[in-house]
Amino acid sequence: MNSIFRRNEFYLLLVIIVFSAAITIVNPAFLTVENMFDLIRSSTGMCILAIGFFVVLLSGGLDVSFPAVAIVAQYITVNVLIATGVDNLAFAFLLAAAIGIAFGAVNAFFISMFRIPTFIVTLATMNIFHGAMLEFVGTKAINAGQLPNAFKGFGLTYLFSLPRGDGTYYGLTVLAAILVGIIIITWLILRFTVMGRVIYALGGNAEAVKRAGFNITRTQFFIYCYAGLLASIMGIIHVSLIRYSNATYIINTELLHVIAAVVLGGASIMGGTGTLTGTVLGVVMISILEKNLVLLGLSSYWQQFFVGLIIVLGVSITFVQKRFQGRRTFALSRD
Amino acid sequence: MKETFLEARNISKSYEGVQALNDVSLTIGKGEVHCLVGENGSGKSTMIKIIGGVVEPDSGSIVINGKAHPNLQAIDAIREGIQIIYQDLSLIPNLTVAENISLNQYVERKVNFVNWKDVHQIAARALAAIEEDIPLDEIVENLPVAKRQLVAIARSLTQNARLIIMDEPTSAITREDVEHLFAVIARLKERGISTLFISHKLSEVFRIAEAVAILRDGRKVGDFPAAELDDRKLTFLMTGREIQYTPYQFDGAKAEAPPLLEVRGLSRRGQFQDVSFSVRAGEILGLTGLIGSGRTELALALFGLNPPDSGEIFMNGKSVRIGSPEVAKRLGIGYLPEDRLTQGLFVGQSIGDNIVITVLKKLLGALGLIDPMKRKKLENGWMGELAIKATSARARAFSLSGGNQQRLVLAKWLATEPRVFILDGPTIGIDIASKSNIHEIIRGLAQRGIAIIMISDEIPEILHTCNRVLVMREGRLVKEIPNASATTEEELNTIVSGKAGNGAGQ
Repeated sequence: MNSIFRRNEFYLLLVIIVFSAAITIVNPAFLTVENMFDLIRSSTGMCILAIGFFVVLLSGGLDVSFPAVAIVAQYITVNVLIATGVDNLAFAFLLAAAIGIAFGAVNAFFISMFRIPTFIVTLATMNIFHGAMLEFVGTKAINAGQLPNAFKGFGLTYLFSLPRGDGTYYGLTVLAAILVGIIIITWLILRFTVMGRVIYALGGNAEAVKRAGFNITRTQFFIYCYAGLLASIMGIIHVSLIRYSNATYIINTELLHVIAAVVLGGASIMGGTGTLTGTVLGVVMISILEKNLVLLGLSSYWQQFFVGLIIVLGVSITFVQKRFQGRRTFALSRD
Repeated sequence: MKETFLEARNISKSYEGVQALNDVSLTIGKGEVHCLVGENGSGKSTMIKIIGGVVEPDSGSIVINGKAHPNLQAIDAIREGIQIIYQDLSLIPNLTVAENISLNQYVERKVNFVNWKDVHQIAARALAAIEEDIPLDEIVENLPVAKRQLVAIARSLTQNARLIIMDEPTSAITREDVEHLFAVIARLKERGISTLFISHKLSEVFRIAEAVAILRDGRKVGDFPAAELDDRKLTFLMTGREIQYTPYQFDGAKAEAPPLLEVRGLSRRGQFQDVSFSVRAGEILGLTGLIGSGRTELALALFGLNPPDSGEIFMNGKSVRIGSPEVAKRLGIGYLPEDRLTQGLFVGQSIGDNIVITVLKKLLGALGLIDPMKRKKLENGWMGELAIKATSARARAFSLSGGNQQRLVLAKWLATEPRVFILDGPTIGIDIASKSNIHEIIRGLAQRGIAIIMISDEIPEILHTCNRVLVMREGRLVKEIPNASATTEEELNTIVSGKAGNGAGQ
């Protein structure tokens, strides 16, 4: 049953290895522990967004509002912390999470109440959320000096450190633990809760799910709130890492990269199929591509080119597979 | 007399002034196999939905197991063991067999967490009950339709089904699978589970049913023991009129003419092998065989949609190469596809647009624009000719009934004035009255000198409509029956299935 998906992930892993080997030949510094730690650090945010996007995609939906949710949750939280003087990381996370979940609920409300295509709803709310923030909260960037210490400290917290040759240290960021936690929780939800199975089922045949007596509205609220929550967590992680909050960050950069990563990971754009492992591998591939094309002597514009190419090819493969499956069914029905 | 499981008494229901059901009563015994037949619009679907608690009747009552349910809801019906398997089966294609079968138990048991061991056990037990062996971990999407159907039946057993209602379960599966399905129904019967079987195919009704309830225009014509019915009587009861089958007589003089279309040694790997035949103007050539025998693939090859690997095609004695539907159209070959909704019609467009789409070039007037007068003439001409019932040529195609839609597809292709017209399953999913009307039209076309190739797996239809029949099996032409009217249904059945002891046609 899983052989097809496993194969898909297996090939992706193979590509990652070959690509990494190629980069290592050009630049041996690529395959060092330090660089790997750095890769994890810089791709954690994208991976969290990708997981949220993946869950929505599984259910047959398409949520493009996540970059807006991430930056709005980040920017509001940072501003509130500055204005109130509460320099506390837990409070920051709680506040951001509340914002993310609320935005997710807005998405779910329109999607479940009016049965509007999810892509249209989230395309609209993306602009509503971001536009409202720019108008009511502001547009001024917040630099490292103004940024509450809680964020800066968080970004520099390591699980453990290793010495460099010159006596300085580098470490594995605490974000890695958060990411692993999110992956495990999401996996548990998808695999072992009825909610998770209904998410898969929704992507397969929503009408049948309704007929079976499941509460689709509740499931949709869960899906979009969960995606909103993950986006808000990414927002906090993002500002903690770059120590700078700009009201127009994330929104223009992350959307296509995340879609490319999830599609590359083998999730069907039409919903119902895909695995978390695939999604994580997709993120790894896109992150390596993002950082290392220059090493291979290609200008950074190629990155944009490749991301677009990956989306088109990835989606094409899904559709070709679908058609192939149709034929296979026909062949089988002959026996 | 068997114990009664379900009794529907004097059910009436109207939708917006249209009486869908009028004082219909239905009694189903425990373990009984009951058939519900009737033409499209006779009220079958409404009846099923009322029994299932999905639709509320205007009047009448439902008694299940001796208990009256004045306000039957879907959930009550399920608790009482009534399970409806709709035509689309309501399966989740991307989940496994095990999960599809057990899915309802999540709702039933109000659990929040999945116990995979339970899921497998429930599914294994349900499949064992119908003595089926389908891999539990297979994704449902990868199963053929017949197997999916069995998964749906197994699923209904997990909810303690006492009555399983199957809505046209045989419309999409092969004859062998139908046999298999019947065996499963017999097993259900042994367990005291009743079946309400809805079917269009008369021969099946006789085979499986103990009792047959017939609906016509929302009224019940009566309950009949299957043994008392035959084809003709059932047809009469369903339609209210006698439908005559007179075999098509191919004109003697035309039979001497050279063939209009001839095919020699046509092959395509894995689909059909070394197929040779010819068809003359005015002939109705039947092409039959099981699903997967290569008949549709062959037809597609003649229409340029499935180019053959080798072999020759002649039109009017001239060798031609048909590489695309464009070429086929130019040569005068028309093709009515099997699935009229997805391949044959633009359902969102108007009736008129559908008729003229194939001949837009002929409608061009001055300046190379479409001439509205020419267009109107053509539209009205074909709507009249084929008696397409609609408020106007501007009504959208999806608003038409099945029979009218099929006539519209016919009109669309007839507008191209084909000389060879291939019809693939021209009466699939159409009720008997419309069916005989379409047969009439086909004969009329042949009489006008069009060569017709009609593909169908309904043996009676083939024998009644065609003058000559070709039988395909596993990609080969195994038999040519020069005189259809001299062949019986049993004979043809045996040839088609290849199960004959004497190996007919080998």
